[in-house]
Amino acid sequence: MAVKALLIDTVRCTGCRGCQVACKQWNKRPAEKTEFFAGPGYQNPKDLSKDTWCLVTYNEVEIGGRFEWVFGKKQCMHCLVPACVSACPVAALERVETERSSAVIYHKHKCLGCRYCMLACPFLVPRFEFDSPNPYITKCTMCFDRQEQGELPACAKACPTGAITFGDRAELIAEAQRRIATNPSVYHHHIYGLEEAGGTCVLHISNVPFEQLGYFTDIPHRALATTANTAMQAIPLVMFGAAVVLGLSYQLRNRTRQGEPPRAHG
Amino acid sequence: MAATTQTRGRLGLTGVILFLLFVLGAVLALYRFGRGIGWVSNLNQGYPWGFWIGFDVLAGIALAAGGFVLAAGVHIFGGEKYHPLVRPAILTAFLGYIFFIVALLVDLGRPWMIWDMIIWHHHESPMFEVGWCVMCYTFVLLLEFLPAVFERFGMSGALRIWHSLTPLLALALLIVFAIVLTHSAPWVILLAAVLVIFQLGVWAGAIRRDPRVPTLLVMAGVIFSILHQSSLGSLFLMAPHKLSPIWYSPILPVLFFVSAVMAGMGMVIVESTLSSRLFGRGLELNLLQGLGRALSWTLLIYLAIRALDLLLRGVAAEVLSASPQAAWFWVEIVVGLLIPLAILLTPEFAASSAGLFSAAALVVAGLIINRLNVAIVGISARYDTYYPHWMEIAISAGIVSAGILVFVLICRHFPVFEEKHAPDPGLRTGAS
Repeated sequence: MAVKALLIDTVRCTGCRGCQVACKQWNKRPAEKTEFFAGPGYQNPKDLSKDTWCLVTYNEVEIGGRFEWVFGKKQCMHCLVPACVSACPVAALERVETERSSAVIYHKHKCLGCRYCMLACPFLVPRFEFDSPNPYITKCTMCFDRQEQGELPACAKACPTGAITFGDRAELIAEAQRRIATNPSVYHHHIYGLEEAGGTCVLHISNVPFEQLGYFTDIPHRALATTANTAMQAIPLVMFGAAVVLGLSYQLRNRTRQGEPPRAHG
Repeated sequence: MAATTQTRGRLGLTGVILFLLFVLGAVLALYRFGRGIGWVSNLNQGYPWGFWIGFDVLAGIALAAGGFVLAAGVHIFGGEKYHPLVRPAILTAFLGYIFFIVALLVDLGRPWMIWDMIIWHHHESPMFEVGWCVMCYTFVLLLEFLPAVFERFGMSGALRIWHSLTPLLALALLIVFAIVLTHSAPWVILLAAVLVIFQLGVWAGAIRRDPRVPTLLVMAGVIFSILHQSSLGSLFLMAPHKLSPIWYSPILPVLFFVSAVMAGMGMVIVESTLSSRLFGRGLELNLLQGLGRALSWTLLIYLAIRALDLLLRGVAAEVLSASPQAAWFWVEIVVGLLIPLAILLTPEFAASSAGLFSAAALVVAGLIINRLNVAIVGISARYDTYYPHWMEIAISAGIVSAGILVFVLICRHFPVFEEKHAPDPGLRTGAS
């Protein structure tokens, strides 16, 4: 089954924020009150939040001796092996594997609000409604509902410059490599999301190194749950081993002192 | 016994302070449920876990490990003389888990959905395993403490039923747990076979029946404890990118387990010393000295594993750097390991109750610092910073205060300490 993905090409992005608005419209998220914050000029709001699942970030980057805007896109990366899904104790987070979608989605009715997904996510994507007495986790669903109807994700549909492409992950990787190869002096030679966290379904290419866009570049190139999974696989062994060791030591100890009467009261 | 015991166990001013702390914590907890977690805490999108997870959950559960350590030591490995310490340790553990669950309800965003863990299984999640273990083990602790209740009310019939039913309950708990957690028929059958053979051996008389407590119940408690004490460490294996390499280690589950054993022993010494003073009963000094020796061995083992782990992973540079993380690491090591070890290895101190008490108290403090380091200090500030809000600490303090008050209340009215055990000759074979 083909894995569906988004390719974000920051070189083609003009920072119009059409994707950000389309995301809010489709997912019915309210606007946020504008606040000043320390950081580059026109970005608004400051960060992803419970109401902003898609955010165009504004970065002033020095390219060839002059400052230029380079726009990044923050959203859920929809990992191939999502740490949030591995972490969730009640399977409230799920990676969809259908013909039309590979999104990581959230079943809010199951959620306990334990926030382990937030600790596990290397991209700091899941956001929690800390101010609500009945709080949920919120995050981008890659418009899973639209995908199932054969529609593009809202952000990809809205983008006027072709900076957001939706398609098969393998084809998008080939396309990204083609763009880098045909324009090697413009593009930074790295596809962000190809290997990060074991591979993601949102791929980014850019004309500057990704740390200059504020992306996390120290993320391990393997599924983050690997070590935890190893520890979890030891459980049956530990249970069995403990049962055998405890049973045997009890029996051996008692055989050595069989002559003694059991203490009446202890 | 009422007349003599009522005058003992009075907390006086301490009791008033604990009660006021409890009231404050309860009021703040109500406010938190009315408005939301954000109104009483500094938890934020970058630090979804903070003081409540570090102190109430990680440290709280580790400090309640004394229950299973002593139950295993006495009922399985034959440390018979330590028996007087078991029942108070079981009570401490039982209350510890109850109040830990209360604390968890405060920390969970939607605590009324906690039953979801029984319905929606995700057995790959360390959190799922911890949740199931805690449910099962709290039930085991309740079963282990029930004989004290039966003795108190002279219910010898109930005690007989307890003796015949608890092995089956323990067996059922372990098998259900294995099914849910492994989803693997061979493992479940293998485990069930071992447990059933053991119990059949007891019934057939081939294995000696422990007249005080069914061995299978103790085994269930030990197995659940090994699993979740270590899995609390596994929780953080999911975050190699966020937890500082000083604490992030593939053997974090092992370190969590060994340190829980050590802190559990420390807690038993602290609790015995304080309660002997409070209830004006004799201090079991020779037992505490023995426990102190066991504690010093555990400290040495933990220190060796910890040092080897740091050296082999090559993080000596981080440990020696001038960062806040490194500073907290050294506080943890010096307070919780080196000073108590020095005290316990000095013969004069290791023989005195004051020396034992201070070493044990330091071990407990060191464990709390260690767990806070893992949960807060070691987590990198990629987003915001986090310092616990006073209301977070006040809610935790309220829960701990309530725990201490209930402990004292139960000790006053139930046969927890040895000299009060089994007032009815009909209950002479009573379990504990």
